[in-house]
Parts: sequence; C-alpha cells; structure tokens
Amino acid sequence: MPHLEVKGLHKQFAGKPPTTAIDQLEFSIEEGELVVLLGPSGCGKTTTLRCLAGLETADAGQISLGGRTWFDSSQRIALPPEKRNIGMVFQSYALWPHMTVRKNIGYPLRSRRKKGPEAAQWIEEAAALVNVEALLDRYPAQLSGGQQQRVSLARSLVSRPDMILFDEPLSNLDAKLRDDVRAQLHELHGRLGFTAVFVTHDQSEALALADRVAVMRAGRFEQIGDPFEVFERPATEYVADFLGLSNRLPAERVDGGVRVAGAEVVGDVLAPTDLGDFVLRIRPEDLHAAPTRADLRGLTTLPATVVDAVYGGRHVDLYLSVAELRIHARVDGSSVEWARSLTAGRGVVVGFDPENAKAYGTAEGSRLLDGRRLATARNGA
Amino acid sequence: MSAAAAVTAPVGTRARVALRRIGAHRVLATLFIVPLAFLVVMPIYRLQSEAFSNSGEAYRTEFARDRMLETIWSTVGLALGSLAIAMVLGTLLAWSATRLPPRLRFLRILPILPIVLPFVASVLGWTFLLSPRPGYLNSLLRQLPWWDHLTEGPVNVYSLPWIIIITGLSLTAFVYLFLSAGFQNINSELIESAHVNGSGGLGVFFRVILPMIRPSMLYGGAVALLIGLGQFTAPLLLGRQSDVRVLTTEIYYALYNRSPQDPAAAAAIASPLLIFGLAVVLGQKYLLGDTSRFVTHGGKGFKPVRRSSRTAVAFICTYALFATVLPLVALAIVALSPFWTRNVMVDKFTLENFQELFATPAMTGAITNSIVISLAAVAICLPIGFIASSILLRAKGMRTTRGILDLIIALPLGVPAVVLGVGFLLTYTQEPFFLYGSKWVILVVYVTIMLPFTTRMHMSGMTALGDAYIEASRVSGAGIVRTNLRIVLPLLRSSVGGAAALMFVLLTHEFTASLLVRAPDTQVMGTILYDTYTNGNYPVVAAIAIVMTGVTFAGAAVALSIGGADVFEDL
Repeated sequence: MPHLEVKGLHKQFAGKPPTTAIDQLEFSIEEGELVVLLGPSGCGKTTTLRCLAGLETADAGQISLGGRTWFDSSQRIALPPEKRNIGMVFQSYALWPHMTVRKNIGYPLRSRRKKGPEAAQWIEEAAALVNVEALLDRYPAQLSGGQQQRVSLARSLVSRPDMILFDEPLSNLDAKLRDDVRAQLHELHGRLGFTAVFVTHDQSEALALADRVAVMRAGRFEQIGDPFEVFERPATEYVADFLGLSNRLPAERVDGGVRVAGAEVVGDVLAPTDLGDFVLRIRPEDLHAAPTRADLRGLTTLPATVVDAVYGGRHVDLYLSVAELRIHARVDGSSVEWARSLTAGRGVVVGFDPENAKAYGTAEGSRLLDGRRLATARNGA
Repeated sequence: MSAAAAVTAPVGTRARVALRRIGAHRVLATLFIVPLAFLVVMPIYRLQSEAFSNSGEAYRTEFARDRMLETIWSTVGLALGSLAIAMVLGTLLAWSATRLPPRLRFLRILPILPIVLPFVASVLGWTFLLSPRPGYLNSLLRQLPWWDHLTEGPVNVYSLPWIIIITGLSLTAFVYLFLSAGFQNINSELIESAHVNGSGGLGVFFRVILPMIRPSMLYGGAVALLIGLGQFTAPLLLGRQSDVRVLTTEIYYALYNRSPQDPAAAAAIASPLLIFGLAVVLGQKYLLGDTSRFVTHGGKGFKPVRRSSRTAVAFICTYALFATVLPLVALAIVALSPFWTRNVMVDKFTLENFQELFATPAMTGAITNSIVISLAAVAICLPIGFIASSILLRAKGMRTTRGILDLIIALPLGVPAVVLGVGFLLTYTQEPFFLYGSKWVILVVYVTIMLPFTTRMHMSGMTALGDAYIEASRVSGAGIVRTNLRIVLPLLRSSVGGAAALMFVLLTHEFTASLLVRAPDTQVMGTILYDTYTNGNYPVVAAIAIVMTGVTFAGAAVALSIGGADVFEDL
C-alpha cells in the first residue's frame, strides 16, 4: 500500500480567466521514496507541494498518508498543516530570526509537546546530521546561507515526521554551495530513508536526488518515472526541451529521403516510415560538427552554415543555420581548435548518432515515437 | 492576546471540524467587525439623518446664505493652495533628502518634525511671529528700509493667503513622508544611466525621477488634499480676526456659536466634505484593488541614490527653520515673557506662566487627560490593529468580510475630523451610548480615529514579515495561536512598539475632534489651549503649547528609539 496517495487533486486560482494550477492530479509515493516535481515556474509544482503541506486548500480531490485522510473535498476534511506531522524546507530558509539555532531546531518538538532530555538529544542528533552542532547557540543572522539551509533541514528532520517537503531549497544558494548541500541531502536520504517531495526547476538537482521524477506542465504530470528513463526517453517534446534536448529539427519525408528545413539528411533517422512529418530533438552535446561529411563517419549528417562560434574553455558553442532553422552544437575534444577558428558564413557538416535524436509527432503533445521498431531511411553514403 | 485567539479560533482536534471551522472563523470575524462598524458608520449615519431631518430644511437654509459661495471658494482655495505648496516643497525636500552627504543623513528626519509638532502649537507660533502689530518677524521686517514707514504688517497672518501658506508648510511634511519612501526605492543605477545617456541634473529630475515617483506623488497628494479640505485648526485660530470662513469653521460655529446649537446646519454644511472624503476612499480602493498594494521593494544589487549636494542640506535646514524652529522659538519667548509685545525682553523672562499653568487644576487635569486617554486608546488600538490586519492579510477565504473591514478601517482617514466630530457628538449624546461629558467619549473617539493608523502600521509590519516564517511554524506543528504568540508577535515587537508611540504622538496632538466632543469639565491639552487662546491670555497659551510639544516630542523620541528612523514611513 502506498504511503502518500493523491487522487483527483484539482485547484484553480481566481482571475480573469481563472488559471488551473493543479489539474486532476493522481499519484502515490511509497514509504522512503523521494519524488521530485520538476518544471518551469507556473507549472503548478509549488502549489501541489503547498496543498500537500496544507498551506493551500485544493478545490477538489483527496490526499491521504498512511491511510489517514489529510484532505478530502467530498467529506469537507482539510487538516491544517500542524496536524499533518510533516517537515518542510523553504527556499528562503525561514529560520526565525529571534530564536537561536537550538530553539529553531527544537520548535517542532516543542509544538508537538515533546520536551525534556529526550527532546534535547533529538535536537543534538538532528544538528549532528547536518554538521551544525557547533552553531546551536548562534542566531540565524550570524550564519551563512549554506549553514542556514542546513539548520532548516535539521528543523524539518528533527521530529521524525511522516514526510518532508522541499520547496526549491537550493535555489537561493550559490553554485558551489548548492552542489555541497545537494550531495549532503542525497547522502542523508540514503541513510535515513525519509519520504519526501522535492520541488525544483533545476534538472540536475532532479536527476541527482530523485527516486522518481515527475515533470509537470500546466498542473499535470507530463511524465513520471525513474530519472534515467526521463532523461533518456523524454515522453514528450515538452519534457525533452526541459531536459536539455533544445535543438528542434522539424523533418519531412520527401521521395523516400528525409529533409530538415529543406536540407537533405544523410544516414539513419529513427522514425516510422509511414510518418510524413515529424520532429527530431537533440541535445547540443550530441551534435558534432566537421568540415566534411567524411569526417563524421557512422553519423547521420546534414549541411549547415556557421552563424557564430563561442569559445567556452573545454568546448565551443557553435550556432549554426540550416536555411531558416537555427541549431546549437556544443563541440569538444579534438575539434575545439578547429571550431574556434570558424567564422560566420562558413559551410560545415553537422552529425549525430541516430540513437540520440528523439523523434516526436508534429501534433501538440505527441508522445515519443518508439525508436525500437525502426524503419530506416537510408540515403546515399 | 485573547483577542487574537478569538479570530483564529481554537484548533479543533478532530479532522472533520477542519473545513467547517472556516464557518466559525467567519462568525468570529463578524463579531470583531460589528463593533468597529458601529464606531465608524454610526457617526456618519447620525450625521446624515440629522442633515435630512425636517426634509432637508438645513440644506436649503445653509446653502442659500449670502456668504456660502465665498465660504466654499475659500475652502477650495485653502485646499488647493496648500496642496500646491505642499507638493512642490515636499517633492523638493524628498529629493534633497536623498542627496544628503553620508555624515548628515540624520537631517532627513527634520522635514518630519512638523508632524510631531502639534499643529495648534505651530499655528500659535506663527501668530506670535506674523501677527500684524506685535509679530516678531513683522517688527523685524519693519526695520528694513522699504518697510520702515509701516506701523503694522507687512504680513497679516490672519489673512487667507497666510492661512494657506501655514497650512501648506505643515502639509509639506506629509507629502515629504510619502515621497521619501518613493525616492528610497529608486535604484541609483537608473539615475546614473540617465546621466550617462546625456541628461543633466534637471533633465534627470523631470524625465526620470518624477515619472518614477508618480504613484507615491498621487497618493501623497490625495492625502494632502483631504487634510487641506478638512483643515480646521489654522482657519479657526487665524481666520476669525479677518472673518475668513471655510466649511469646517462654519460647521463648528453652527454648533458652538449659535444659540441654540444647530446640529442640522452643521451636518448639512458637512455634506460636501463627507461626500468628497467618501469618494476619495472608494476611488482609492477601486484604483488599487485590495491585494497587492503593500508589496515592499527588495532584491539584490539594489543601490539607493547616493550623490550629495550642499543645496540639499541648505534647503532642508531652511524648511526646518521655518516650519519648526521659528514657531517654537516664538512660543518659547512668549511663554517666558510676562506679556506678549513686539520687543523681546530677555531680562524680564520668567517661569510664572508655567507656574500658573501647573497651579490651575483645569489645565493639569487636561494634560493628565490627554496622556491617560491617549495611552488607553493606544492600548485598545494595538490588539484591534493586529486582528484587523491579520484578517485583511491572511483570511483568504473571506472576500466580502475583508472588503467591508477594509472600507470601515479606511473611512476615518477619508472623512475630515470635523465632520466625524459632529457625528461623534450626535452619536454619543443619545442612547444607547450616552457618553457625552465623560472621558469615555474622548476615548471612543480616539480609538475610532486611530483605526486606520493602527491597521496600516500592523499591516506593513506583517507584510514585511512575509508568509514564510508563519508557514514554517505551521508545518512544524504549531497551531495558529501558538504561531501568533511565539513567532509573529516577537518578530513584530519593534514595529508594534514604534506604532504605539507614534499613535500616542498623534493622539496627544488631537485638536479637531476633541474640540467638538469635549465638555466644559472634560478637556484635553488642545481644547484647553483653545479656550485660553480665545480668552486672550497669550503667555499661558504659549506655555500650554510648549508643554504639549514636550509631551509629543517625548512620544516621538520613544517611537524613534523603538521603531528606528523609518517608523514614520508606516503612516
């Protein structure tokens, strides 16, 4: 039996026109699982989290945890946050500035009527988990951002809640700290096995932390699954775009061959032959460039013109055009020196491994076209 | 705190209660709003029903009088004239305040002092300075070669233009207050980029700065216009000698200069002011909507304007000299002199006036009343403000309730104090609450007129606090009551403390409403000052004004030390 169960959750915000923040959402989370809600701002991920916390009240649906009903619109039940036995980590840390770190961490215990030596020991343990034992008697204003977020984490863990909710907890930290806290969080989850829902718009956070990733769009789950699966087989173009497959190549079959923006594609394209028009999605890292077709043996190629070449240390970002279409290739390794020397207007050839180009139908919301039942379109060499 | 607990309702232990509790909240909120509605709406209702009595006879009589048109023109002239002065000076002062050198930053408090200085006191000070014959400044001006033939003047403080100027000088402080908040939010990079792109100082001021502070100018201007239209103190104290009439003084005289009292006439004359005040309040609600209006400015990389200028320093000091220092000096001189003449006789300075003041039971009683009633009113207003702003900011479900509360709270700000004063008088001289003649009436009136201030100050404190601290407490297992006690109140402590001291200052000032509802043996500082003034005992009047100023400045000092230099910006 799943730990957390959400059924038919729906919420609209008033306005003209009213916006649907959560659209008939259904999902469940196993005990000890960490699920990441991933999506751009406005996709409903934070609203979903706040509905789980009880900070927002949904219009319809049910939420229950471990068989206990938290929210049920049909029975008019809506437990307030303090009755749900949860912990939460906020983007702004939300440490109360008038309390010491010890009091901050101890607050969930006090408000749940847990006092005395046992409570004191729990506080010490929670502080030790995130390495802030030395800071217990300081005030939040005396801590750095990373320390504050760790204290906030300790506060959410201390009362051993049934579930912990994370509302973009890393996005206020600078890049290096973010990696540190992320690693610590991953280790902590592995050790303690708490059940958690984690909201973020950062795909690398999602991939690193999640047992399952749910990519959200307009209040729905566009795809939910194992991080590897979501990364390698994005279910829709929206997910693909969000996970870095930013090159969009609209393709058409003409006379048995495939053309992208009028240019002829040479090599394998993994898309059903009965489909006239489709779209290929490719990561910039998976696009290679070379002076001639012969240099890209084994890859599917098409000709392009250089618009700009931007040096980035270990790689060069090539911005190319295929007729009206703009594409972006990130070239690294031995090609860096050659790519740096390119000037606008030079003709080059770009190529990709057919496995790396994901094909989708042209209709809005089309699913990933199954690449295993491939029919190949082979042209020329 | 039992009051805060009341809105939030005890947390039910059973899950099922949860959604239904919203219903209980609604009932509690209504129980909170009904008495407030009585306080605010009842006086307005009584006022209007009085005006309509005898099928509106009073309207026909009053507005048919020969001098009514002139009175209305003077009222409009006073409002617009003082508004114009205040807008120009206030804008320049606020701009100057952003250009003070770092060492002199503290000077930005100076233009706020006229708000702390009781307006009756500064009007009185100006009388001593510019009264045609014995005015100190006038006699100095008569030393100048081109005026040495005059025996009086050249300035007549009792004339309409000077009433307008003095009112304008005082309104300037309010405009300054609103605008300086607006100026502080201007990122210096915007100004620097205008300079880089080829604008000179004036060009930047007119093309970049003024357009950016337009919203605060509009708001400050609307407030100043309301105060100007309802202006009572200056025309009452100064207008009598030259028979300058405005609507507010006519209202007062209808009650206290006619025999028998004519409340219907007072109510009828009050109507234009009432309608205008209501229109401004409703218009503002309509324009600003009810949600996002107290959004505070924040963010990284924000640099306030920092370029210093000597002219700015000189300008601020000049304003402080005329609006605060000179009137206070004049008051002090008269208070220390045996009688008021054009010559300052330092060798005759005496404390007799103060001795007389403190030996007169009526006067010491009035001072005690002012302090005690103000403190009591503040004590009552604090929980009201806390609850009201909690409902306005956090009761998400109750749209209508919030709308009504918002309107009730805003009304005492829009309706001029004279008009409300008449309403109070009509309300509390009849059942069910016959309070006239006791100190209770003054307390009730003070609480009513402080509703907008206490709510606004609590709201700005709570808005600045944000939701995250509260949400963090709720998800940590604390109920609403515990969250308010352990998190919200401790964090609001300094802003609430500042608010309390500030309200004390505003109440010890209070003149207009007090004058309308006081009884001969229930006086406060402002009313006893007025009585002594009409009796012509100027040195004692000056002494009272000095004492009054001392009390309010003490309150202001407390406000500043608790709430910090920005405490006034919450007004």
